[in-house]
Amino acid sequence: MKEDTIPRIFLGKVKKYGDCVALRDKDFGVWQEISWNEYCRHVRHCCLGLMELGLSRGDHVSIFGENEPEWLYADLAVQSAGGVAVGVYPTNPAKEACYVIGHSDSIFVVCDNQEQVDKVLEVKEELPLLRKIIVTDMKGLRHYTDPMIMPFGSVEDIGRKVEENDPEKYYRTMDKLKSEDVAIMVYTSGTTGPPKGAMLSHDNVVQFLKAQSQVLPQYDTDEIVSYLPLCHVAERMMSVFFPLNSGATVNFAESVETVTMDMREILPTFYLAVPRIWEKMMASIIIKMKDATWIKRKMYEICSPIGERMADARLSGGPIPFSLKLMYGLGYLGLFRHLRKELGLLRARVAVSGAAPIAPEVLKFFHSLGVPVLEGWGMTEETGIGTCNVLEDVKLGTVGKPIPGVELKIAEDGEILLKCNHVFVGYWKDPEATAKTVQDGWLYTGDVGELDEEGRLKITDRKKEIIITSGGKNIAPSEIENHLKCSPYINEAIVIGDGRKFLSALIQIEYDNVAKWAQEHSIAYTTFKSLAQNQQVNEMIKQEVHEANKDFAQVETIKKFRLLDKELDHDDDELTATLKLRRKTVYKKFGDIIEEMYGSKRDK
Amino acid sequence: MGLLDIKDISLAFGGIQALDRVSLSVEPGELYAIIGPNGAGKTSLLNCISGFYTPDRGTILFEGRGFSRERPDQIAKLGIARTFQNVELFSHMNVIDNMLLGRHHHYKSGFFKNAILGYRAEEENRHRLKVEEVIDFLEMEQWRKHLVGSLPYGVQKRVELGRALAQEPKLLLLDEPMAGMNQEETEDIARFILDVHEELGTTIVMIEHDMDVVMDISERVCVLDFGKKIAEGSPREVQKDSKVQKAYLGEDYETVMRGAGNP
Repeated sequence: MKEDTIPRIFLGKVKKYGDCVALRDKDFGVWQEISWNEYCRHVRHCCLGLMELGLSRGDHVSIFGENEPEWLYADLAVQSAGGVAVGVYPTNPAKEACYVIGHSDSIFVVCDNQEQVDKVLEVKEELPLLRKIIVTDMKGLRHYTDPMIMPFGSVEDIGRKVEENDPEKYYRTMDKLKSEDVAIMVYTSGTTGPPKGAMLSHDNVVQFLKAQSQVLPQYDTDEIVSYLPLCHVAERMMSVFFPLNSGATVNFAESVETVTMDMREILPTFYLAVPRIWEKMMASIIIKMKDATWIKRKMYEICSPIGERMADARLSGGPIPFSLKLMYGLGYLGLFRHLRKELGLLRARVAVSGAAPIAPEVLKFFHSLGVPVLEGWGMTEETGIGTCNVLEDVKLGTVGKPIPGVELKIAEDGEILLKCNHVFVGYWKDPEATAKTVQDGWLYTGDVGELDEEGRLKITDRKKEIIITSGGKNIAPSEIENHLKCSPYINEAIVIGDGRKFLSALIQIEYDNVAKWAQEHSIAYTTFKSLAQNQQVNEMIKQEVHEANKDFAQVETIKKFRLLDKELDHDDDELTATLKLRRKTVYKKFGDIIEEMYGSKRDK
Repeated sequence: MGLLDIKDISLAFGGIQALDRVSLSVEPGELYAIIGPNGAGKTSLLNCISGFYTPDRGTILFEGRGFSRERPDQIAKLGIARTFQNVELFSHMNVIDNMLLGRHHHYKSGFFKNAILGYRAEEENRHRLKVEEVIDFLEMEQWRKHLVGSLPYGVQKRVELGRALAQEPKLLLLDEPMAGMNQEETEDIARFILDVHEELGTTIVMIEHDMDVVMDISERVCVLDFGKKIAEGSPREVQKDSKVQKAYLGEDYETVMRGAGNP
């Protein structure tokens, strides 16, 4: 059987691994194992059940919930039937979820619990095509009378009966799939304007997996913890498609709140996180060390410079002196091992940072612990990864070399253009945007960057976000912002200065850490707002900004800043579902504060 | 006849009449709320049902069976569980252990069998599973191994509810489950109480001061004032009752209102 569609790859693995563990789900505090055979049975039954309910080739199905095995069952079931699976962010408010479900013409939506069902019911009138709401956890829904609601188990029951009468039906259906069929649709996060649905075909995914297995090889012994939203292309690859290709085991965290604890139990070997999580992990270690006992603090003070030297030595690629190896070994026993265990990264063989730019300082911190975090860069529109650092060849501050099959070109205005055999099919119902994004086979990424002499890519920023000061200087805000965010007290920074004389910043403090700092300095506060307005807190942040400024040229330094007196929130439209900034909204909302920093009139 | 029938019970502490010939009947599967001003005798009534107090006169029938002098642990065995107004947990024990205590009377084998014959594992697994079901139900996964004393107050109240649920009660008595909670915690607990009621079908008798919650979720409300039952009915009926308004706003309510109208 040629493995040219996703379900075929899946069936190949089912045949190979049979009763081996494919998925683990924590239920009642115990990791319950699901074998490849069981995984396959669920997919088959769900697929046949959905078809019985009216799913046919080319139909769309939205999946709206947290990560759980049922998410994967539904995903693969829809694809097997020739349908298109669309992920919706579980944190989306009703309005945004409605946009995706409606825009994708979904006929079914699979929800994980009452919370999501309530959101769908709220906007049901605007979704005329929707036929069924399929729910995996019926808790709290017994008394809902809406005939559209249906438990996930019943769909599988219907499928089971179909299979009893016609055991070959699933395989016949799946065989009709063509590799050029659209398999999934991933909605881009939409920092500007409404999200667009990028259509990815079976072939896109298959070609991408071929390239990925050469740069980030994954084996059937690897353990993965699935916790980032599955609707994002990176996590979809990580939890669904990579393991289908490699046979690795996927573990589902019990709930969003328990991820840290679950990580410590599983100790994943293959791990993906977004910069925000790496930053949080680093901040948590730094803060905890301040609180630790004297002996632990001393240990940290002695060992961390050794770790840094080791990281430098490894990154430079030269020979590592024996004395350093010996000292690092001792440091590992005394410190690094424990920190890695605490973070759940003790066994992390491959750790990847992606989806947004990260400060090199953060990466170096993890390299010094012995966790080589590899920064990659990619786009939904080319199925995930375009360039990536590899274990043997890491250069901090770059996103690595193109993966096999990917060709890069820098346009005259600095925009990165990309060509490969896994460029997406197009945007759903938006041929105009598709034509703009793909021209002559080149994908216009919207990122600005440069290639170094060895062919590594360095990202400057999103093209739309480059700031041009009134002095005519081009500045990439994200680099400065990431630098600021290295401080454990700064959660979010927004650099402003387009058309202005100097740069300023809006800063959101990291509530937990600043609250702790305030307690240590006996500063009274009640809420986030009172903390942000406190004079001493402002002084402290000023110091942090001052520190960060040292690493930049004069024009790139932050001259003024203000602390935000509220936390930016997805619900308030200031962040996207992936917690990326919506700059326009923020500029508009905090316009007064910004104007005040530049004096009431605009500085010319 | 209801699941719980209280007939004419009275209770006095010295000269104070805490309960004065109170009668009420709770149907199986009902969510029944008891409200009233401070010192109206609500908690005393709950204490009589759960065996902490013995009424001076009157009878309490549970599933048609009368009891009056049973100890609280014997009453728990009948299938009545309760939570307390001020959290009563073992603060130096973790969440799981506290909840396992709720399973105590379900343990079949005694010390000898457990310690010496090694029946422990099988039995303990069974009880742990039940506790885990409750943890899942109340979404407490993240606190499983935390010491109860280190948890925020709102979570402690949830643990207490969990311990009561671990008893698998037929009747659940809740003494001010929302007291001292912020808006968000109140909404959470209200949702959990509804879930318990709807999913597990447990009969619930609840004392609560938060009127919005009472009016929102309960099916029948009983109002106590100075130890006497002054009204009973659906939340809507009770709200309109003039005696209830008087009890809450004071005796002079009407005169004040009249006075305001005619200077």
